[in-house]
Amino acid sequence: MTVGFFTDTTVCIGCKACEVACKQWNQLPDDGFSFTGMSYDNTVQLGASTWRHVAFIERPPTGDDGAGDKFSWLMMSDVCKHCETSACLEACPTGSIIRTEFDSVFVQPDICNGCGYCVSACPFGVIDRREDDGRAWKCTLCYDRLGADMTPACAQACPTESIVFGELSSLHERAASRVEALHASGHTEAYLYGVDQSGTDGLHAFFLLTDEPEVYNLPSAPVAYSKTNGRAWRSMVAAGVAMAVAAVVSARR
Amino acid sequence: MTSYYDVPLLKRPVWKWFVPAYFFLGGVAGASSTLGLVSRPLRRRCSRLSLVTLSAGTACLIADLGRPERFANMLRVFRPSSPMNMGSWLLAVYGPAAGASAVLGSSLGAGVAGVAGIPLAGYTGVLVASTAVPAWQDASTSMPALFTASGVAGAASLLKLGGCDDESARVLRRYGIAGCAGELAAAVALEREVRDPAAYRATPLWRLSHLLTTISLLLSLPRGRNRRRELASGVSGVAGSAMVKFAVAQAGHHSTSSKSSA
Repeated sequence: MTVGFFTDTTVCIGCKACEVACKQWNQLPDDGFSFTGMSYDNTVQLGASTWRHVAFIERPPTGDDGAGDKFSWLMMSDVCKHCETSACLEACPTGSIIRTEFDSVFVQPDICNGCGYCVSACPFGVIDRREDDGRAWKCTLCYDRLGADMTPACAQACPTESIVFGELSSLHERAASRVEALHASGHTEAYLYGVDQSGTDGLHAFFLLTDEPEVYNLPSAPVAYSKTNGRAWRSMVAAGVAMAVAAVVSARR
Repeated sequence: MTSYYDVPLLKRPVWKWFVPAYFFLGGVAGASSTLGLVSRPLRRRCSRLSLVTLSAGTACLIADLGRPERFANMLRVFRPSSPMNMGSWLLAVYGPAAGASAVLGSSLGAGVAGVAGIPLAGYTGVLVASTAVPAWQDASTSMPALFTASGVAGAASLLKLGGCDDESARVLRRYGIAGCAGELAAAVALEREVRDPAAYRATPLWRLSHLLTTISLLLSLPRGRNRRRELASGVSGVAGSAMVKFAVAQAGHHSTSSKSSA
């Protein structure tokens, strides 16, 4: 069964219950208690010990004397996308990163040797290596809870159903009707991020957004490297042939 | 460019200096084994150089791991989608062959290492191009060529330092010219291939490596033998070859630190 998250940012209230539930359930260490000055966001980004991150975007009033839109918020709970074509999984040289029976992407901590290749492979900047531990970590989609037929901790804790967990195709249907309803009520800027995405073949954790992806620190055109590195292998072969020819020619008397 | 409080979108590469050092050492080992296979008078020198650089390079790779004691997990699976996994298998074949060639004088070892040395010199270029780092992913055609040529330049330059007979010196001169010229040409191609060449140009090592490689190339052009000129060409060639790989690593850091990296 393919499961995933549909994160509807239009109903996120920025309570960070998902962040807390994730830290609690997965027993993740803190990331320091710093004040960033970035609105209500002191978490900053996803990382080795942060598997849910709520972004806060402040949008000032537009027009003179507030004649246009009033001050507004965009809030989004970000998470590992569990890509259909997953660059971290393809890059992992040890087979530590696997596709589970739920079609999620899971890092096996007893296998990972901390080579760091997945960190540079991920086009979303999700996975990272924990310095004190030497291994790579990211959202497991609560693999342990799924095995016990439980909902992932973040979705369980979300009070507004901004994070919905479920079977992927039914999530797609739910998301499509939500976009339709928003469009009908005049919010034509609403769209789905990560359903049709050629660079990753789609995300198992996808989002309903109301502004450009970059506003939320998401890439507008993420590409798993396997889509482009055929060229690199061919170039390596050509360069290797040239090197062999250079060696033979050089060695001639 | 819209961004989220200037927080970089991508994670910086976590690799320390060990990894570009391995890119250099592995490239030298591969290019040296291949030359040793086809050049009789240079075989012993080449196989010794390969063994030394390969051993140092492998040590660098293991030292860079977050969990070095688990290095053998690299051979736990066979995963063609992962250039790093392919490289590990390549090293598993190449290493013993290079060892047998250098220590036992085995010609079978020299043969296997000479052939395996060809991909060994270039696969690291595929490895860095197979990432989400824009300065690396964009260079998918030029990077493997740059890495291979840099391996040839480095191997020829290191072998020149040792001193040798006239016949070997002629071979090394030609091999070095091919490597240096190839490295410079691939670097020009790379700057044209990537969307943001500033990531490279902002790295002083990038220009410096071209300067050193150019010096090495010019010094090796005259035909007559001159030991001092050979040494100068060797030293500048080794420095240029190593530096270009450190420059690529630094460009990756630049490329993931900017807020507009997407």
